Amino acid sequence: MMTATTLDFDAIVIGSGITGGWAAKELTEKGLKVLVLERGRDIRAGVDYLGEHAPDWKAPYQGKADRELFARDYSVQSQSYAFSDYNRQFWNNDRENPYISNPDKPFDWFRADVVGGRSLLWGRQSYRWSEQDFKANAQDKEGIPWPIGYRDLAPWYSHVEKFAGISGQAEGWPELPDSEFLPPMTSFALERTIKERLSRKAPDLRMTIGRAAILTQDHNGRSACHYCGPCHRGCSTGSYFSSQSATLPAARATGNLTLKPDAVVERLVYDKDSGKISAVQVIDSRSGERQSFSARLFFLCASTVGSTQIMLNSTSETFPAGLANHSGALGKHLMDHLESPPIIGTFLDDMDRYYFGTRPNGSYIPRFRNLGGQDEDADFLRGYGFQANVLRMDWKMLFNRKGFGASLKDTLRKPGMWIWALKGFGECLPRSDNQIVLQRNKPDRFGIPQVNIDFAWGANEQAMWQDINRHATRIMKAAGAVFYQGMVDKPNAIGGGAVHEMGTARMGDNPSESVLNAYNQAHDVANLFVTDGACMTSSSCVNPSLTYMALTARACDYATTQLAAGAI
Amino acid sequence: MNRRELLQCAAILVSGVSASRLGFALNEEQWTYLATAPDYTDRKVDYLTPAQRRIIAAMAEVIIPETNTPGAIAAGVPRYIELMVADWFNEQEQAIFSAGIAVMESDVPAQYGAPFEQLGPQEQVAIMETLEEQASDSDWYRFGTVQREFLSEAPFICQMKELTIWGFFTSEVGMTQVLRYDPMPMHFDGDTPLGPDDSSRPMRFI
Repeated sequence: MMTATTLDFDAIVIGSGITGGWAAKELTEKGLKVLVLERGRDIRAGVDYLGEHAPDWKAPYQGKADRELFARDYSVQSQSYAFSDYNRQFWNNDRENPYISNPDKPFDWFRADVVGGRSLLWGRQSYRWSEQDFKANAQDKEGIPWPIGYRDLAPWYSHVEKFAGISGQAEGWPELPDSEFLPPMTSFALERTIKERLSRKAPDLRMTIGRAAILTQDHNGRSACHYCGPCHRGCSTGSYFSSQSATLPAARATGNLTLKPDAVVERLVYDKDSGKISAVQVIDSRSGERQSFSARLFFLCASTVGSTQIMLNSTSETFPAGLANHSGALGKHLMDHLESPPIIGTFLDDMDRYYFGTRPNGSYIPRFRNLGGQDEDADFLRGYGFQANVLRMDWKMLFNRKGFGASLKDTLRKPGMWIWALKGFGECLPRSDNQIVLQRNKPDRFGIPQVNIDFAWGANEQAMWQDINRHATRIMKAAGAVFYQGMVDKPNAIGGGAVHEMGTARMGDNPSESVLNAYNQAHDVANLFVTDGACMTSSSCVNPSLTYMALTARACDYATTQLAAGAI
Repeated sequence: MNRRELLQCAAILVSGVSASRLGFALNEEQWTYLATAPDYTDRKVDYLTPAQRRIIAAMAEVIIPETNTPGAIAAGVPRYIELMVADWFNEQEQAIFSAGIAVMESDVPAQYGAPFEQLGPQEQVAIMETLEEQASDSDWYRFGTVQREFLSEAPFICQMKELTIWGFFTSEVGMTQVLRYDPMPMHFDGDTPLGPDDSSRPMRFI
């Protein structure tokens, strides 16, 4: 359809994570010659998943954390449940890649500078947004209205789901629209017991198996899950969706993909005469050499903070406050989900039932507060959902006890009680004082100004936290926990901890208060698209990656149509 | 893909790594394919004296003895303890360990007329129980069912217990002959029967 002429490429995609992978797939499949720039090093699917399937006795310290190394080089990254010596090669070294946040308002920025990015490490939970999610800003006047609604995105949800493979149970609930599902994963006996009790004692609640981008049957050349457990070590059978397992191979198969790792984007170059981006300036992270690549289309998919950092650093005479920032909204309205610590209940039910295999997925209690209108007893806006996980206690949770010998050995080798743990994920309101700026006097090792992240929970999240605690307690009682542990009164969640950072280049119809239009296209620069979490106008309470995928595919379709029509 | 095909696939991937390692800037240790690497306890260590090694081995075997399944010594736990004390413990933890083993070396022969490892089972257990009694107000015992970081102030006997239990249940012997470890389950069933004598299947989320 279109070929590069005097330009290096038709399109340049910055970032190879969830959205960069999708942009690469969609654009190459439409015939464009695409360059994907990844600031991290190359990781080859399968061969470089060095910790996959390794038993504990092979690991350094047989799985005990390398305390000294983690504290020195991975002080932020090691806070993630998914971080370990089994997959340390995917994560950024914090000492070599500093950023700034206020010590009184810390923000954890989890990063994976490798080909595939955080799509290798994500939690794989995949939920569609509901109509109410898209209408929330317009209805309660927090933030600006979304320029699109559920109807605009629904076909694109279907489009990405059919390719990615989402396992789950169709329920027909308006607050949690169904996806194009592969068969759901099966339940623990305890989950069935709890679900039955909740249906009687807390009938306002609904519970369904987690909807996960993990294959329950072979799909598009990828293998069904083999239930080994720790997905984030990498999966050589491609059983969970990642850029590595799915989108990059598809893009490569077109013959139209060029992938350049170790390429740190310094800035996008704005050409005043054409009113478009003409080139991207790149620093080779190994040699330090600078290079420039030109194209007709530019897709920023470098993560919420990463994309905004690039735009803020791409100043020009036309855009002194950052690229495409005539609105002044760039960098503002940073959000993350309000994630509660696990609320842990112990159960004496189904003690003679057990499991085979590790199911890398939990169950989900969708939002039940302020549905279809404000609840009378709710002193906060919007809502939250609960992700629930089942565990059976084993020696790791029971070993610090008295005694020696055969009886100790026998006790420790056998399972203990069941645990059911709830985690609340709450919607975070977009507030202009939660923002990212550049710290120009503090360059990183490439000479690029570090980001300074300023983020705190607001009054609405504080009130929501209390409500999460109240209802978690109610749910644990109704579920039949013999013992449960609640949480502290004030949010002790650190911003960024949910790894659902969103906003800072929001979409909107009004160019004076938003950076992007209804197609993720910059209002001010026609050939610039931002389709990662930075584009989000509000945060819903469901995990965002599936929505990023759908928005990216939709933006790619629009961009190529506009390009063909000569409008870009 | 079935289990056999999957393992074959893994074997091919492993050979791919060794053939193309030169292309990477990371150090050699970071590029070990862990599943085919030597066991952690295959590493060399020379931290304890032969006499101390005998005591540590005997203490570990008292904590997790051979029954109808192998015990701590058969699982390589003594070497694990020595490696962890040498490479993983910080100075505070090493000082507690050194003082503890010194007491075992000097006081036990003085009181019982023979080194710890030569005593009968009842005497060995009695000595260990006395140590535990003396440590009983340690925070190490307090955390109930909660997973936690290693407690740097943990007394010697608690260090020995934690390293022995951890080393045992993460060893190949412990995971495959005592627990029911399966690296490649191929399916999930959340409602299987559990008999009164059945061991845990390690749940592997991390």
